[in-house]
Amino acid sequence: MKTKKFLLIFALSFLLNTQTLFADEAKMAKGLEIFNETAGCAACHVLKAAGSEGNIGPNLDTVEGLSYESVMDIVTHGLGVMPAFGEDEILTKEEIDIVSFYVANSVTK
Amino acid sequence: MKKDKTKLNLNRRNFLTGTATLAGIAATASVVPITIANANHSEGKKGLPDFISWKDRDALIVHSDKGIETHRSAIGESLITPNRNIYIRNNMPTMTDKQIGDRKKWKVSIEGVKNPQTFTLAQLQKLGHETMATILQCSGNGRGFFEHKPRGSQWKTGAAACVLWTGVPMKTVVDACGGINGAAVYMTSEGVDHEPTGLDPKKAMIARSVPKKVYKDAMLAWEMNGVPLPNAHGGPLRMVTPGYFGINNVKHIGKVAFTTEQSSVKYMKSSYRISPIGKKGSQYPSCWEMPVKSWITRPTDETGTVKAGKVQIVGVAMGGTKKVRSVKVSVDGGSSWKKAKFIGPNLGKYAWRQFVLETTLSAGTYNIASLASNGSDKQPELRMENRRGYAHNGWKDHSVNITVV
Repeated sequence: MKTKKFLLIFALSFLLNTQTLFADEAKMAKGLEIFNETAGCAACHVLKAAGSEGNIGPNLDTVEGLSYESVMDIVTHGLGVMPAFGEDEILTKEEIDIVSFYVANSVTK
Repeated sequence: MKKDKTKLNLNRRNFLTGTATLAGIAATASVVPITIANANHSEGKKGLPDFISWKDRDALIVHSDKGIETHRSAIGESLITPNRNIYIRNNMPTMTDKQIGDRKKWKVSIEGVKNPQTFTLAQLQKLGHETMATILQCSGNGRGFFEHKPRGSQWKTGAAACVLWTGVPMKTVVDACGGINGAAVYMTSEGVDHEPTGLDPKKAMIARSVPKKVYKDAMLAWEMNGVPLPNAHGGPLRMVTPGYFGINNVKHIGKVAFTTEQSSVKYMKSSYRISPIGKKGSQYPSCWEMPVKSWITRPTDETGTVKAGKVQIVGVAMGGTKKVRSVKVSVDGGSSWKKAKFIGPNLGKYAWRQFVLETTLSAGTYNIASLASNGSDKQPELRMENRRGYAHNGWKDHSVNITVV
């Protein structure tokens, strides 16, 4: 009985973990698309993972202290010539969340 | 249709060249080949981007390849900040030699004067020759101390430098053009470093208007600390507006116009405005005159433990647009102050002065602060809270903690 219970819990948690894994993978794929296509971040930024080589804004792989929160902040409100993708409704809140997640998990430290 | 996920869609940059919405993409024309943009930013062997590989890596803190500040103790030791230690803060990519072309043929047009005309660098160099010392300081120097974590480079003290500029005084240029048109209220400088990017000038051009009176002490400079103005610092020619924040010292200058209105570009209208937290708008004051300010450069928490006994507390002090008059130093977090001595040469009111307080410290921890005055103003204890973390001159945040053993 104990073994059955154990196997059930194991199988369930395995399933849940792979679901998260698949969800993350999908999010990263979507994030790459927003980065390179929808928002055009690639035109102004270097990000090795995305294969982008823009030279207007900072090379994202070199930005000190870059995090999901800091990316979301800048993408939402803009900075200098960088548009306020959130404030000016160029991207949806969901798209901003996805691309911020993508960038934060893509930078080469 | 197979979607190539790694393909870069350069057309998407068009929302910056035309309208504010993606709807304008199809209608807009220019797409900048990425190869031009790429030209000078790849990482060199010293851990500094190529375009500034000549700088001293050890003197610098790299926040990103576009935001690099000077270590606290690498400023001020010789009054003038050597070029290899000077901070980098460029809103647009540094222009390359290729984009600049023949430096002697660089053009700047003068407008809002009786006889508007264009000068080449060679012509300006025939017109006049002067050298002056000023402080170059980013409006956001000290932003790293603000508690509300404003967006932007998190500078502490290192987005500042004391520089010797050589060039032609704006007064001389204005005289050569027959004087300023009566109605003008501002001197508006426009850079051309946005041009190679193809971005919409309304969003990308660095154009800065300052009060007209600034022209009297301003200069079009082609040399920085005795060498031709490096590209990374705005070469071959930049505006120098003494006592005014860095952004006003427009790099790669293409036009100086005496105008009745402030420029309407983003970098003048909305950016660089000092507003309360949570508020923004062009009605707020622009980052213009620098306030009185000082900071200790040694000893600091960076320079290691200090041996008990006689200690030389060293720093730099500036008055903004007025001469700095005095500096006092505290070793007990501001409870008591002693007047520090100015040392070294006085390079005029727009440069900083070095100061020293000689004191004796026994083993323990100390909070050392400096407080400068320019006669009419002195540094406040606390920062002036503002949305974007500009113009910090509070002495408390600039204090340092040291350990004496």
